[in-house]
Amino acid sequence: MSNLRHSIGNNSWIELAARWILGLTFIYASFHKIISPADFAKIVYGYNLFPEIFINLIAITLPFLELIAGLALIMGFYPRSAAFIINGLLLAFIVVLSINLIRGHEFDCGCFSAGQGGYFSSPRVTVFRNIIYFVLGLQVILFGGIRRMSIKSLSP
Amino acid sequence: MVYRKTIKEIILLMGVSVTLALVVNYLSPRGIALMGQWDTAKGVITANPTGVAEGRPQEIDSAARAREVFDKGDVLFVDARSSDSYEDGHISGAISLPVGQFDERIESFLNQHAPDTFIVTYCSGRTCEDSHNLAQFLSDAGFTDVRIFIDGFPGWEAEGYPIE
Repeated sequence: MSNLRHSIGNNSWIELAARWILGLTFIYASFHKIISPADFAKIVYGYNLFPEIFINLIAITLPFLELIAGLALIMGFYPRSAAFIINGLLLAFIVVLSINLIRGHEFDCGCFSAGQGGYFSSPRVTVFRNIIYFVLGLQVILFGGIRRMSIKSLSP
Repeated sequence: MVYRKTIKEIILLMGVSVTLALVVNYLSPRGIALMGQWDTAKGVITANPTGVAEGRPQEIDSAARAREVFDKGDVLFVDARSSDSYEDGHISGAISLPVGQFDERIESFLNQHAPDTFIVTYCSGRTCEDSHNLAQFLSDAGFTDVRIFIDGFPGWEAEGYPIE
């Protein structure tokens, strides 16, 4: 069992796939937020969790954090650090979604689209999806070998 | 030592992201203010408070004042929400003009209503900007007397005022 975990954890093809899946997902997710920051700010407000003074700042900076970390993962530029950022974001998303799920607050997650026409993706599904992404991020962080197709392939 | 290196890299990546975000937001025509207006007690929420401030004089900011306007008559309430929401319930006598379908519907609207019609737009209250956008579009289309009831249908309904 621990052998299996070891071989999955250190398989460089799985590492590459994890980086590309996470990278493309986060770049895609950042797109609509960058295009329409005012809509995204409203979604952040809709979570009903953040102090007023931070709502616009979150709406402005979060999408670029997703974009840059996603690009860094795909290019293999500081991949471990980028994966730390991605997992930090995922952890925050999971916490925030769970809080609203538990208190029954209806909201638009705004993950991949600015909710036009009252589209609500199920928070349960979203939390589950984020947990899978988080595991992929862990693989990238814990990987000990030489990374494939990576600018900084020799960095630990 | 590896931790220190990773922390440096994380700070670098985050620094680049935040800098890029602020620069793009500053240069982009769709950029937003660094602080929005997110207090419903102060009015309609928006990421861009400057835009709304210009529209303030047109606002009707309580259901009671909207009722006064309603009772005086000679006013057209226009519902900016979706057709479905309108069908589910709207202010008595209001007509539907969903802001998302403005372009398709404005021509027949113009044929039925004179430009000096006293219009009050509304949507779902202070967390919704549709009534403001609709008011702007109607002004651009030539209507001279457009106001916005910012508490919208929920505010009206909560007072027990006439709906249909």
